[in-house]
Amino acid sequence: MNWKKLLKMAGIVSLALMITIIPLLSAGCAGTEEKTLKAGFSICYTGVAAEKGRPMGNAKLDCMKYINEELGGVAGYQIEVIWRDNQYDAAKAATIINELIAADCLMFTTNSSKMMASSMEIANRAEFPGFAVFSSPVCTHPPQHIYAQMPDYGDDWAAFAKYYLENIWQGEGRPKMALHLLNNPTGYGAQDAALVLADELGIDIVAIDEHTATTTNEIESLTRIKGLNPDILYISSTPQPTSIIVKNAVELGMYPGITIGCGHASLTSVLIELAGADTEGVYGVYPTVNWGDDVPAMAKMTEYCQEYHPEDYGNMDYVTSWAEGLIVAEILRLAIENVGIDNLTPQAIEEYGFQKLDNFDVGGLHGPVTYTSGDNRLSKSVRVFQILDGEITPITGWVEAPLIPYEFE
Amino acid sequence: MDLPAGTRNYTYAQDMAIFRTKTHWAMLLALLVILFTAPLYWGNHWLSVANLIGITIIAATGLNILTGYCGQLSIGHAGFIAVGAYTSAVLTNRLELPFIVGLLAAGIIAGLIGLIFGTPSVRVKGFYLAISTIAAQFILIWVINHWTSVTGGFRGISVPPASIGGMIFVSQSSQFYLILVITVLVVFLAKNLARTRVGRAFVAIRDNDLAAEVMGINLFRYKLLAFFIGCFLAGIAGSLLAHWIGFLNAENFSIMDSILYIGIIIIGGLGTTTGPIFGVIFIRMLQQGITFIAPVLESTFALPAGFTTGIGPMVFGLAIVLFLILEPRGLAHRWQLFKASYRLWPFSY
Amino acid sequence: MAELLQFVITGITVGMIYALIALSFVLVWKSSGVANLALGQLVLISSWFTYGMLVQAGLPLWVGFVLIILFALALGWVIERFILRPLIAQPILSLITVTLGLAYFIEGAVSFIWPKSVAALPRLFPQEPIHIGTAVVSQEYLWAAAISVALFGLLSLYFKYHKMGIAMRATADDQMAVQACGIPVTRIFSRSWMLACVLAAVGGVLMSSIGGITFGLVETGLKAFSVVILGGLNSFLGAIIAGPIIGLAENLGGGYLTPLTWPGVKEVIPFIIIIIVMFLKPYGLFGEVRIERI
Repeated sequence: MNWKKLLKMAGIVSLALMITIIPLLSAGCAGTEEKTLKAGFSICYTGVAAEKGRPMGNAKLDCMKYINEELGGVAGYQIEVIWRDNQYDAAKAATIINELIAADCLMFTTNSSKMMASSMEIANRAEFPGFAVFSSPVCTHPPQHIYAQMPDYGDDWAAFAKYYLENIWQGEGRPKMALHLLNNPTGYGAQDAALVLADELGIDIVAIDEHTATTTNEIESLTRIKGLNPDILYISSTPQPTSIIVKNAVELGMYPGITIGCGHASLTSVLIELAGADTEGVYGVYPTVNWGDDVPAMAKMTEYCQEYHPEDYGNMDYVTSWAEGLIVAEILRLAIENVGIDNLTPQAIEEYGFQKLDNFDVGGLHGPVTYTSGDNRLSKSVRVFQILDGEITPITGWVEAPLIPYEFE
Repeated sequence: MDLPAGTRNYTYAQDMAIFRTKTHWAMLLALLVILFTAPLYWGNHWLSVANLIGITIIAATGLNILTGYCGQLSIGHAGFIAVGAYTSAVLTNRLELPFIVGLLAAGIIAGLIGLIFGTPSVRVKGFYLAISTIAAQFILIWVINHWTSVTGGFRGISVPPASIGGMIFVSQSSQFYLILVITVLVVFLAKNLARTRVGRAFVAIRDNDLAAEVMGINLFRYKLLAFFIGCFLAGIAGSLLAHWIGFLNAENFSIMDSILYIGIIIIGGLGTTTGPIFGVIFIRMLQQGITFIAPVLESTFALPAGFTTGIGPMVFGLAIVLFLILEPRGLAHRWQLFKASYRLWPFSY
Repeated sequence: MAELLQFVITGITVGMIYALIALSFVLVWKSSGVANLALGQLVLISSWFTYGMLVQAGLPLWVGFVLIILFALALGWVIERFILRPLIAQPILSLITVTLGLAYFIEGAVSFIWPKSVAALPRLFPQEPIHIGTAVVSQEYLWAAAISVALFGLLSLYFKYHKMGIAMRATADDQMAVQACGIPVTRIFSRSWMLACVLAAVGGVLMSSIGGITFGLVETGLKAFSVVILGGLNSFLGAIIAGPIIGLAENLGGGYLTPLTWPGVKEVIPFIIIIIVMFLKPYGLFGEVRIERI
C-alpha cells in the first residue's frame, strides 16, 4: 500500500542525486598531490572564430607539451594545463573563467579580445591575472589584472602612422587620412588610437567610415572618401572586406595613387588570394615573424607543428600562440624564481611573474616582451610589411608603438 | 486527469491549486531545498552554468509568453535582451543608480522598445512580424554600437556587480541566489499569468485572432501587452546577464541567439510554463555535452577538422526540425505523458 | 553630381542581385505559402559547393555548373521531402520556425565540410570596369544584373504560361481545390523548392565570384527579405523592382546620410525600410493584400 509513495520518494531522491552528483563528479576530480603549476586556457576552439581559435589552441597545447616533456616543465615543475572551449560565446566564457578561478589556476589566457572582455571583469574582481593574445585597448586600459600579449589594433595604427610620416610622406603640411573600419572592436580599436594620437602626430583624419565583416561592395563609401582627397586610406579589418575595399579603390581609380595601409588582422595570404594583383604595394603591419624565418624558436615550433598538427603549418596564428605558450612558461619561471614554489598564488604570479618580465625575446617570434609600470601591453612592437610581387614582404625591423593615453570612461 | 486516482476537487481553490496534493508540496519543497542548498555542493563552475541557465529561463519565459501563448513570432529577442543589458549597465555604471533601479528600468525600457517594434503586429502577423522583429534586432544593435557617448560603442561597457542594500553579489553563489529568486518569481508569475483573463486572451489570439476579436478581445491592446511582457522579461534577463558577465559588448547579442531562443521554446514546448525550463536545460546541457564530447570524438575517429565546429549548430538545427516534425508540443508534453504513465503505473491502460 | 551618378549606378546594379535572391523566396511563397528564412544559408551552401567543385576538385567550369544545378535541385528536393512535407497543414509558426532550424543546420553543415571562413571563387566575368560618364561599374555586376533580369523573365513566363507554373499559382490560391482538380500538390511543392534552390545557387555563384565566399552571404539573404517585404511576398515583379529600390536606398542613404548620422547607416537602411513598410503598406508594393487565411 505504501510502496507507491516509496516509489515517488525514490524518484525524488534519484532526481536530487542526479542534480547534485553530476557537478560534484566534475568538480571533484581536481587535486593531485604532486606540485604542479596550473594554467588555464580559454580557447575559442569551436564556434564562429574557430578558424583562428583552432590553430591557436593547437599551438599552445603543443607548446605546453614541448615544455613539459622536452624541457621537463618550468624549473622542474610540470605545467598542468586546464583548457576549455569557449565557443566564442560570451556567456560560455564567463562560466569558464569562473571554473578556472575555482580550479585554483595561477593564471589564464584567452585568444581574443572579445572573449577577454567577457572574462576580464570576473577575473579583475578575483585579482586573477591573465592575458589575451589579440586584445583591444579596453582590456588593458585602465591597467588592472589583464595584460595583452600582442599590440592591439590601436597600436597597429600608431606604428603605421609613425612609419608613414617618417618614410613615405613627401608632401607639404599634414597628410590627410581616411579610416575604413570594420564594425567591431578590430576596426574601432584603430579609431580610438587615431582620435587620441592623430593630432599629436600631425595627421588629419578626414573621414571615418565603416563596413561589415561581410560586405560585398564598398563603392559608395569609397566614392565619398575619394571626394575628400585623402593621402592615406587605413583599413582596420579582416582579409575579405579589405580585399573588397582594395579592389573597389582600384576600380574607382583611387589606387594606385594614394597609400593604403592595413592592420594586422587584414594582412594574410587570404587577402592576396582574394584581391590578386590589386593588392600590389599595399602596406600593412604584423606583430610576428613569418614561418621559416631564422629565429631561435622556429626549429622546435616547426618540428612540433609538423608532428602533431601538420594542417596548421604556415598558419600565422600558430606562431602567435606558440609564443603565447613560451610567455606563460616565462611568467611562471620568473615567479618561481622570485617567490619560490610554495608561495605561488595568482597575486604572486602577477607581481613577481607578469610584472618582472623584462626584455624576454620569445625565441625571436615577435617583438621583445617587457612590462613597464602602467602599461599592460607585454609586446609593443610590430613590423611594417608591404605586398610586393604578390608576397607579404617585411620592409622594417621592429617598430615600437607608443603607449596611447586613452581616456575611457 | 492530472490528479492521482482517488483525489477529487471539491472547491474552486482546489481546482486552481498549482500544487494540489501533499506529494506535490513535498516535491516542491525538496526541489527548493536542493536548489537553495546547491552552493554547498556545486562547484563554482556548475554554479555559473546554473546562473546562465536561470537567466536564459527568464528570457525564454518572456519569449514563450509572446510567441508560445500569444502566437506573435519574434526573432529579435536577443536585441531586446541587449536593450535591457545596456539600460542596466548605463544606469548603474554611468549614473551610479542602485542595481534594483537598473533591473526594473531594464525591464521597462526593453518593454517599451518592444511596444514600438510590436506595433506592426496590429496589422500583420506570421512572416511579416518575424521579419520586422529581425529588423528590430539589427536596428537596436546598430544604435547600441554607435551611440558611443552612452553605451561605450564597440569598446563595450563595464558593469558593476549587482547589489541590494549593503549586499554585493560578486561570488557565483551569491549571484546564484539572486538569479534563482528572480527566476522562481518569473516562472510563478508566468504560470499565473497564463491562467488569468490576460493569458486566456493571449491563447485565444494565438489560436484564431479573428474569432478572439469577435469575442470582444481587444487585439491591439493584448498583442501589445504580450510584446510588453515578453520584452520586459527579456530586459530583466539582460540586466542580470550584464551584471553577471560584468562587461558588455553588442556582439554578444546576435541574430543566431535570437534563433536559439526560438529553438529553446520549441524544444521545450510552446505555450507551457515548464516548456522554457526544459528547453533551456536541454539546450545548455547539449552545449556543454557537445563541447566536451566533440573534440574527443574527433581525435578518436580522425574526423575532419570541421567536425567540432559544425556539430553544435547541426545538432541544434536538427533538434528544432525533429521536434517540430515529431513532437511539436515539446519536452513539456513528454513530461506530462511521463507523469501520467507514472501515476497510473502499473495499470497504465 | 558625379557622386550621385555613381551612387545610383552602384545601387541599381547591387540591388539586382538582391532581387535575384528575393525571387527564390517569392517562388516558394507563391506556390506553397512557406516563408523560407533559410534563404541566406541556401545561398551560402551552394556557394561553398561551387567552391568544392571548381576549386577543390578542379573541374572545368561547365561541368562544375551542371553539377551545381544538380546539387541545388537535389537540395531542394530533400528539403521539401523530408522537412516541409511532414509539416503540411501545420500552423504558420511551425512552417517559419522549421526553416530557422534548417538555417542553423546548414550553417553547421557548411562549417563541418568547409572549415574555412573565407574562400575565393574563380572569376567568371571580365575584370575591366566600365565607365559610364564619371561613374564606374564593374562588369561583374552588369552581368549579374543581366542574369537576374533574364531569370525574372523566364520565371514570369513560366508562371504565366507553363502548365506547371499555372498549377503552382493555383496551389498557392487554394490547395484543396487544386487537389480536387487532380493536381499533385506535393509534386508542385517539391518542384518549387527545387527551382528556388537553383535560383539561390545562381545568386550565390554570382555573389561569391564577386566578393568571395563568407558568412556574409547569409546577411545578403536578410537583405533579400527587405526586398520581398517592399515588393510584396508573392510578386516576381515586386521583387525585381524592389531590389534596385533597396540597393538605391542603401547607396544614396549611405552616401548622403553617413555624414549626418553614424557610420554604417547603410547597413540598417534595408531594415528601417522594412519597419516603415510595415507601418504604411504592410503587404508591399505589389503584394496581394489578403495573405493569410483564417
